[in-house]
Amino acid sequence: MKKSSIILIVVIAVAIAMIMVIYTDSSTYSTFTEAKGKQTELYVVGVLNKEKDLLYDPVTDANHFSFYMYDNDSTECQVVFNGSKPQDIERSEQIVLTGKMEGDVFHASKILMKCPSKYNQDEVEVIEMESTPVTASLN
Amino acid sequence: MDVNYVGENLLPGQIGQFFVILSFGAALLSFASYFFATKNPEEKSWQNIARVGFWLNALSILIIGMVLFYIIYNHLFEYHYAYAHSSTTLPTHYIISAFWEGQEGSFWLWMFWQVVMGIVLVFKAKSWENPVMTFVMLCQVFLASMLLGVEVFGSRIGSSPFILLRDALQAPIFSDPNYLSMIRDGRGLNPLLQNYWMVIHPPTLFLGFAAMIVPFAYAAAGLWQKRFKEWITPGLPWALFAVMVLGAGIIMGSFWAYEALNFGGFWAWDPVENVSIIPWLTLIAAVHVMIAYKHTGHAYFTACFLSLISFVLVIYASFLTRSGILGETSVHSFTSLGMSGQLVIFNVAFLLIMIFLLVVRRKEMPSTKIEEDIYSREFWLFIGALVLTVACVQMIATTSIPVFNAIFGTNVAPPIDPIPHYNKWQGAFAVVVMLLTAFTQFLKFKRTDAKKFWAATIASFVLAIVISAVIIYFTHIYTNVMYMLITLTSVFCILANLRILGDSFKGKWRLSGSAVSHIGFGLLLIGALIAAATNEVISVNSSNYIAVAGFDQVEKPGENLFLTENEPVQMGKYRITYVGDSVAAPNVYYKIKYEEINEETGEAKNAFILMPFAQNNPDMGGLIGTPGTKHFLTHDIYTLITAAASDSHKSIQGNDEDAAGFDQYDEPATYLVNIGDTLRYRNGFYTIEGINRNATLENMPVAADDILVGLQIKVFASDGTQHSAEPVFLIKGGNTFDFHKDVEAQGLRFRFTKILPEENKLELMTYQKPLPEKKWVVFKAIKFPYINFFWCGTIVMTVGFGMAIYRRIKDGRATSKRNA
Repeated sequence: MKKSSIILIVVIAVAIAMIMVIYTDSSTYSTFTEAKGKQTELYVVGVLNKEKDLLYDPVTDANHFSFYMYDNDSTECQVVFNGSKPQDIERSEQIVLTGKMEGDVFHASKILMKCPSKYNQDEVEVIEMESTPVTASLN
Repeated sequence: MDVNYVGENLLPGQIGQFFVILSFGAALLSFASYFFATKNPEEKSWQNIARVGFWLNALSILIIGMVLFYIIYNHLFEYHYAYAHSSTTLPTHYIISAFWEGQEGSFWLWMFWQVVMGIVLVFKAKSWENPVMTFVMLCQVFLASMLLGVEVFGSRIGSSPFILLRDALQAPIFSDPNYLSMIRDGRGLNPLLQNYWMVIHPPTLFLGFAAMIVPFAYAAAGLWQKRFKEWITPGLPWALFAVMVLGAGIIMGSFWAYEALNFGGFWAWDPVENVSIIPWLTLIAAVHVMIAYKHTGHAYFTACFLSLISFVLVIYASFLTRSGILGETSVHSFTSLGMSGQLVIFNVAFLLIMIFLLVVRRKEMPSTKIEEDIYSREFWLFIGALVLTVACVQMIATTSIPVFNAIFGTNVAPPIDPIPHYNKWQGAFAVVVMLLTAFTQFLKFKRTDAKKFWAATIASFVLAIVISAVIIYFTHIYTNVMYMLITLTSVFCILANLRILGDSFKGKWRLSGSAVSHIGFGLLLIGALIAAATNEVISVNSSNYIAVAGFDQVEKPGENLFLTENEPVQMGKYRITYVGDSVAAPNVYYKIKYEEINEETGEAKNAFILMPFAQNNPDMGGLIGTPGTKHFLTHDIYTLITAAASDSHKSIQGNDEDAAGFDQYDEPATYLVNIGDTLRYRNGFYTIEGINRNATLENMPVAADDILVGLQIKVFASDGTQHSAEPVFLIKGGNTFDFHKDVEAQGLRFRFTKILPEENKLELMTYQKPLPEKKWVVFKAIKFPYINFFWCGTIVMTVGFGMAIYRRIKDGRATSKRNA
């Protein structure tokens, strides 16, 4: 057999293996209800429940932060994060959690927040509106 | 609505916008003229027009840059770019970072470097100038269009950096002609970018990206003009230059991530990082195949293909980072400016050029019928290039998941934990690549004596096993097979290349550049591996966690440690104390003192203070921490503040309360006292010394029948200081008044409120301020062992590339002399 054919076969074999691994490693965006049925880590996308308290008391435990979140089906669930509170979580408009369900509590290993972008024009408007009266009175 | 706005400085914007349009027009003219100059080489006038266009384009870009800098530097907030990216409090050197924080600025940077490349080409490329510059200017046309900001047939093309704030945003204040006076300040630069590495990293990275057009242009020109063999010689130094600069730029970015970002590492396989390393790897592959072709005539197609695809991948990278498509998967990509369509066209255009040229010339391309020998360098260079390409395919496939979702409407999420996902593949590829880099050094082009090859290879390999065994033992990475293999092959690669370097001292200096850069890459890989594999969180908080109810498995101990001011905590071999903070607006620096304690004597040695800092910027998302890192020869200690008491930040904003109010005191205690009495308070005691019947009051005339009495109090604080106070009691016209006195230092306030003559008592009310809340911080500390290998390897590699460029340019000159 020619060397080039051998190389070709090897490359194709590696490529197939890669596609399979990407397929098995890839995950899906799911909901709290689905997370209850699964034991694996997964992504849950949702929004913060701003009505309920965000619990973070570094004096008692600097590595415990809990809050409530609605997923995309509007199911509410308590989320516990083993770490310090992400500083801007109150402002987030979307949260992507990585983690798994333990009983009725979702244990997050990673929190990714989508915050109102500084390019987001609506947000600018609000900030601008708030600061206007203060300065305007100086004129 | 026509409003006469007050105070706007519109001239710079108009000048800037004029040159934006001119730069586009000039680039288009230059591109077209270079194209025709290539088609009609005998007509000199085409080339002259093309050069005029090029210089006009260069001038426009220079002026755009100066005007934009003028706008940011002078805080002209009527311009959206200045408003969105800077503020008046920004230090001057960060104004430079603000300049390229936005997409427009970074496009400008790209164009600027491309102009610099163009100048070199115009002067040096000689017979290659016309075809090569055709492609460079085509790219310049696309880039210039990104800044246009002009509406054509209802759709906006590009985004101009000179757009006015009132045009960019819709807000009620813009109906006020005086709106500019209401905008006190810009939104400022993202605190994460306020780092000196952010001044130097983007220009280096973009110089690398811009330089990658040149190998593309040479390869394309070679195919177009059927000068198949010639382009390799002038193209090779350019390709090496692009690889050197882009590599340095990427590592600078990783150093910035390590120094300034808070994810605790130097590489996270973030899509933004991946897309910058992919073209780097493909161009490295291209360089190797180009060398193989130069020496043997094999693998012409691969050399062309890799040179061309590298630049297409650069454009793909900028599409991914700039179109907003990575939104949910990347922490630090640009947000969309609504230019994805334009970026797609840019990308597809260069992809089509590549495919078109390769297809049209497929029959004419030089090729060899004989197969490469197994014992030949070119065969294994080719295999190495193939492995690098396959490695890139793996990275592109996973990174592009959001793109596939967008195209096919699927909803696949990227791997939950990307780092192991990439590591298992890229680790395996690294092993193969390092192995190839090692033994290929013992092969010669065309044909090698198998016996000599095996003797040299096995000798080096045995030595490599010994050395890597020592490294593995001391760095404790013997639990992971992949780590051990990477270490072994990297050491093997370093040894093999050291031999080549040794030969070069004996006169075979020609290969020294490649040997040095291979050694650098080997060091880099070992450093990255050890630092990433064995870094440990040392702020482990094992005693102080709360088990979650209904959760019986053992919670892994937290990684954040709580520190109260001046209360030392033992952390591994260090005693850590939070000794206070200092404020340098807008940052608060937290002083964390590390002391290594000698277990026997209890004495502290090796004390050092780290000053991680944080910036509270509500516009940018609250408290943003920047780590402090102590660099040792063998390891780094990295400390990051993850939460802190908010007091220090408040005082920056000057919200101190009025000192006269009683609100800030606790409920008072009322005592009936006599002279000579001693009373306790929280922080010591005080005695009633006596009564002053001759008390006076400022600004208060005392009538003859008024009674004005002072109560002399002496305060003995527990820290040994003494203070005195004299509250005053006044009876005026039948009404009683009292005037309190404070002892600020002790947070005490005394009121002399009543005289009870029948009981011979005096009534004293004592107010105390609540104890100030002790300052605290929550922080995380990580130890990165041997990370210096990583930085050191980078420097060595860059030097090696520099040497290789020097050699290839010299070779090029020699070839052209021979041909002449």
